[in-house]
Amino acid sequence: MALLEINNISVHYGRIQALHDISISVEEGEIVTLIGANGAGKTTTMRSLAGLLNLSSGSVTFEGEDISKLPGHKRVVRGISLTPEGRGIFPAMTVRENLEMGTYALKERSTVDESYDRVFELFPRLKEREAQSGGTLSGGEQQMLAIGRALMGRPKVLLLDEPSMGLAPQFIKQIFSIISQVNAQGMTVLLVEQNANQALSRADRAYVLETGRITRSGTGPELLADPAVKEAYLGVA
Amino acid sequence: MDQWISFDWEALGANFWSATVDGLTFGGIYALVALGYTLVYGVLNLINFAHSEVFIVGAYAVVFTLTSLGFGPSVPNLAWYAIAANLLLALVFGMLASAVTAFIVERVAYKPLRAKGAPRLVFLISAIGMSFVIQYLIFWWRGPNPEPAVIMFQNKPVFDIGGTLIYFDSILIVSAAIIMMVVVDQFIRRSKLGRGIRAVAQDPDTATLMGVNRERIIVSTFILGGLLAGVAALFYVMKVPSGVLYLGGFLLGVKAFTAAVLGGIGNVRGALLGGLLLGLIGNYGQILLGSAQWNDVVCFVVLIAVLMVRPEGILGSNLGKVRA
Ligand SMILES: Nc1ncnc2c1ncn2[C@@H]1O[C@H](COP(=O)(O)OP(=O)(O)OP(=O)(O)O)[C@@H](O)[C@H]1O
Ligand SMILES: [Mg+2]
Repeated sequence: MALLEINNISVHYGRIQALHDISISVEEGEIVTLIGANGAGKTTTMRSLAGLLNLSSGSVTFEGEDISKLPGHKRVVRGISLTPEGRGIFPAMTVRENLEMGTYALKERSTVDESYDRVFELFPRLKEREAQSGGTLSGGEQQMLAIGRALMGRPKVLLLDEPSMGLAPQFIKQIFSIISQVNAQGMTVLLVEQNANQALSRADRAYVLETGRITRSGTGPELLADPAVKEAYLGVA
Repeated sequence: MDQWISFDWEALGANFWSATVDGLTFGGIYALVALGYTLVYGVLNLINFAHSEVFIVGAYAVVFTLTSLGFGPSVPNLAWYAIAANLLLALVFGMLASAVTAFIVERVAYKPLRAKGAPRLVFLISAIGMSFVIQYLIFWWRGPNPEPAVIMFQNKPVFDIGGTLIYFDSILIVSAAIIMMVVVDQFIRRSKLGRGIRAVAQDPDTATLMGVNRERIIVSTFILGGLLAGVAALFYVMKVPSGVLYLGGFLLGVKAFTAAVLGGIGNVRGALLGGLLLGLIGNYGQILLGSAQWNDVVCFVVLIAVLMVRPEGILGSNLGKVRA
């Protein structure tokens, strides 16, 4: 049984259908990546998983249980944490307060201090900026904060929507290495990326999304070697 | 030649300190009501026009409670602690009545629209409609006249600043308003509900991703605003014993709303600053221009002037609306 399973879901915005009957599964401990062009439906998929959008059909199961009808704020409690596209930093809260928001849904408070230590160890930059307001951080720092905040909640699966978007190369490298590091410590990750090369080379498995449909799937190395993927997403003719 | 408008600087000079104290007293009441506008605006981006009625329902509850406890148009003949206990009871009922009204307003006028994802203009119309419905329900029940006056205690001067006597009610109201502001400010900053309110104000979707139940935050915010309006209601009846009528909420609500905008809507500290300033400005203007009718005019002229120069209000809207 997979940890997270998307079974034949369709999602609409009003009359416009953004997802057509897609299925994805994520096993415990994996990094699964979802690649696709602009407007393919990657964010729609992630927001549906987090409970911010309603399904028109199909279902989402988590740990074997159907959570399709569970409101978003309760999915966090189950252990599903989305770092949204654009990062979703609370601009008028300090770095510390943003991290604290990550623990909002936690019942078990005894591990919170330990979580701060762990996040500051992964992102020493955040420690330096602890009292600064979130809105004044650079894009890269905001992305670190967004990931750190998600980790504060000790999720079972981490959903990352384009964490490398708009970042300078050295930040992109750092973000990807953090993702691998967190995964090595046992975190399951579903990663949406346009930076297909980086994402596929770190992924256990991957899916290609085109205009709301899954058109290809396989292991990371398989898709890296796939000529069609190479041409469309890896910039190799 | 007789001018239709003239400035009586002498009167203002002679009454400056008493006008200041009185202005601050009314300002404290505006500030408490202004908080309700500001908090709801923070989480919903919506001016809850029915908040003025939330306030006046509380004032009715205060008057009814005190009347049934034997209070009336003459000073009660009771020991101070008996009076204090009765006022506390009236305060509790005022807060409850306002909070319940706020809850109902949210349920009836806004929640169904939210579920449907209605456009913002529809919320505004619903808000104004709700305000009229409550006003005319009160009118239908109590008629056009104010409730008979309720005097709470013999108001006595407590001290004297350079010939100006400072009365007990002013000290009570101004200090209570300031204390309430500090409490609310700290509550918003430190409590879990407060963090939820700020998160929803700054980014509702991300708040959901943190596990914040947005619907619950919205309802709680309305109730919090209602509780504060209930406190304002007690002080309003204290200050204006015969001011409880169906239109009373509207008249005070417009001032409180102005105060919220003046200080920076969405900003808790701005509500206090805006309220106190507006109380002062209105009172100075009224004495300078010679009659109480000028109070409102002066307030709105100042509001328009401030908004032209600084539309975000004096302190800016900072409950979270400032986006990076
Ligand atoms: N709120 C919305 N209302 C209507 N249509 C929307 C909305 N959000 C997204 N869409 C449409 O749904 C489709 C999928 O969008 P989505 O944001 O999921 O794409 P994406 O793969 O994340 O793209 P990008 O790489 O640019 O982030 C697009 O055609 C988009 O125009
Ligand atoms: Mg996207």
